[in-house]
Amino acid sequence: MRRQHKAVLAASLALGLLAAACGGDDDDGDDDAGGRDGPAISIGAQDFGESAILAEIYGQALEAEGFEVRQQGLGGFRELLFDTFEAGDINLAPEYVASELEFLNGGAGEATGDVDETLAKLEPLLEERGLVAFEPADAVDTNSFVVTQETADELGLETLSDLAEKGQGLTLGAPQDCEENAFCLPGLERVYGLDLSDNFTPLEAGVIPTSLKEGAIDVALLFSTDGRIAEEGWVLLEDDQGMLAADNVVPVATQELVDAYGDDLAEVLNEVSAALTTEDLIELNRRYDIDKEDADDIAADWLRENDLD
Amino acid sequence: MGEAWGQMWDYLGSDAAWSGRNGLPSLLWAHLQLSLAALVLATIVALPPAILLGHVRRGALLAVSVVNIGRAVPSFAVIALLLPFSLRWGFGLGFWPTLVALVLLAIPPIFTNTYTGVRDVPAEAVEAARGMGMQPGELVRKVEVPVALPLILAGLRVSAVQIVATATLGALVGYRCLGTPIVAGFTKSDKGSLLAAAILVAVVALLVDGLFALSQRWLVPWRSARSRPVDNPEPEGPTP
Amino acid sequence: MRAQVAHVLAADEPFVRWSWVEDHLDDIRADAIEHVQLTALAVGIGFALAMAMALVAVRWRWTYGILAGFCAVLYSIPSVALFGILVPITGLGIVPAEIALVGYTLLILLRNIVAGIDGVPAHVREAADGMGYEPWRRVLRIDLPLALPAIIAGLRIATVTTVGLVTVASLVGKGGFGNLINDGLGRDFSTPVVVGTVLSVALAVALDIVFVVIERWTTPWARQEGGPRDTRLDPGAPVHTPLPVTITTQANPVAAAAAGAAGTARASGVGDG
Repeated sequence: MRRQHKAVLAASLALGLLAAACGGDDDDGDDDAGGRDGPAISIGAQDFGESAILAEIYGQALEAEGFEVRQQGLGGFRELLFDTFEAGDINLAPEYVASELEFLNGGAGEATGDVDETLAKLEPLLEERGLVAFEPADAVDTNSFVVTQETADELGLETLSDLAEKGQGLTLGAPQDCEENAFCLPGLERVYGLDLSDNFTPLEAGVIPTSLKEGAIDVALLFSTDGRIAEEGWVLLEDDQGMLAADNVVPVATQELVDAYGDDLAEVLNEVSAALTTEDLIELNRRYDIDKEDADDIAADWLRENDLD
Repeated sequence: MGEAWGQMWDYLGSDAAWSGRNGLPSLLWAHLQLSLAALVLATIVALPPAILLGHVRRGALLAVSVVNIGRAVPSFAVIALLLPFSLRWGFGLGFWPTLVALVLLAIPPIFTNTYTGVRDVPAEAVEAARGMGMQPGELVRKVEVPVALPLILAGLRVSAVQIVATATLGALVGYRCLGTPIVAGFTKSDKGSLLAAAILVAVVALLVDGLFALSQRWLVPWRSARSRPVDNPEPEGPTP
Repeated sequence: MRAQVAHVLAADEPFVRWSWVEDHLDDIRADAIEHVQLTALAVGIGFALAMAMALVAVRWRWTYGILAGFCAVLYSIPSVALFGILVPITGLGIVPAEIALVGYTLLILLRNIVAGIDGVPAHVREAADGMGYEPWRRVLRIDLPLALPAIIAGLRIATVTTVGLVTVASLVGKGGFGNLINDGLGRDFSTPVVVGTVLSVALAVALDIVFVVIERWTTPWARQEGGPRDTRLDPGAPVHTPLPVTITTQANPVAAAAAGAAGTARASGVGDG
């Protein structure tokens, strides 16, 4: 009996250690040689559909040109982006010009509606971190304030100025960071003089559309390219006083990656960016959020349609 | 990491932490309200059937299954799945879907511990009581439940602590509680409020745990906590 | 039945889109493997650490309070918060996931191992000491084997707890079935949420059953509830089949290892070969 017990004990310990060993050999970021002579490309995608799709688009386009590409999810940690760049876990990421700028300058409000101007301010900040921005796309995805058709009709809302005038009592549903995001509550107050902070309900991004649909909130903060806006017939309030800045899609890479591949890399990325439009983003998102297709399939289709595969 | 501590002290020193809707006291109060409601509701739902089944000494399989399933269900998935229904049926965001998920979470330990406690009342005691002419109702009230009390309290204790900790999820669906700064802190570089709220949750959880531990000793004075380990399944520590 | 549910949802999205499940079997399988790996790793490491702590606590009694207290604090930090703190330091992936998962197993395992060792009747220990066992050998050859039921009960709880927690680790990209749940929640897609939840629960139940089998195999004298009770050493003490009386939560596992002592059988047969 004693021996049996010892055996079980030993077995459990062994199993534990075995599991530890097995679980240990995970895919660390080792430097495989890329399909070309250089480091493998590791793309960082944030945890929303559009980011994943864009990462796949750029990634597959690069793969088609012989680069070795890996996708790396960044989970819910936005500010990790720069840490992961630094740690070498990723060396390329699809970003948005204005939001990136405001994130790096601590919300100073320097971004404007002009993409070139905003990019010019962004580049030095990126350089400090050993990062380089490529050419931005025309495709834009900003924050947007959305109401249902009923609400819009009832109060006569078409623009954010209308909201400022007639919408003080309305509840706003947005992710937690809305209180500090320059393109959310602070922006509304600064540019439109609208203070919704008392009526603000912080919600996890995934439940916001449902909440708007079911009337639990009056105004929803969604991405402007969210496919559900058109699908549900919602009204995207126009930013008539220009609070929202140029959030064009722009790929950002490490200086090392640029040095390794030079113009070849730029060529592929810029070609993709040049073909990307806002309408495309809306359609891509629609397929993801409504048709529930996978990011990689959606990306592959888009590349094929644009002759970039 | 050191930076985060510094941020926390800064946060605690600021006005924002102590006043208004986002202040810790307000969030704490909301948190406690939700937790208490969930505990009470779970107890109301779980206790009677558990006592009944324990009394008739049936349904062991049910007791085990309830615990197993309850143990592994991801609470946030439950909340998110409930949300559309909650909205559609007019219960709104925040409080109600979270409450339901918490109650579901809390039922298994209360149920199983109560069931086990009542069922494992020594046969001799039950026989003796019956022999004295006790009716089933009296038997339950005067013998089985009191004897099972340590285990019942242990179950309540486990549930209470879990509820306090999990109530943080309410923040994701619009309920302002201690979870709110935690979730918000995810995307901020200033982790001060996150840390402060997280520690506060931990402290409250530990306090609740301690409170129940005390009540276990209090309400069961006729048994020294150490005399029969099987009555007090909560190992307080090695017997000195 | 499905038609009814679809009607309740009042949308044309069925609760589970089976075609999606079919198309994504590979992903689901990969998630399953990840889930099991993460669980095994966490419980394995946790067990090793808890055992070390338990041996220390048994030898130097005054340390138990500190060790248990430390584990209890770790236990009560909401996992969501823990990730928020760890990730800027450790990055994403398996490291923060395992740190959190291992941390949550420690309290249960430590308590159960110590309770199990403490449950060894004093006269058994004295007898062993009298027979000339040195303290360490006694602990290894007498105490631990006798503590086995409690230890296994603890492992059982820790394992099932961890299975539930792994889903939260999807926040850092290593969530097993939690990846499915996360995906679905992000785009209002109930299928992966349901699939992920059901599979997670199924895995927990399956592992629980495995442990029940192990418990019965290693402690045959505890098998009969109301069966032959060995009262040689402890007259009148009922023999319990260990029922799981602690649970875990998704976001924050805080559970006292009640089943630990409840599962400790009044042991007999210390002298049996």
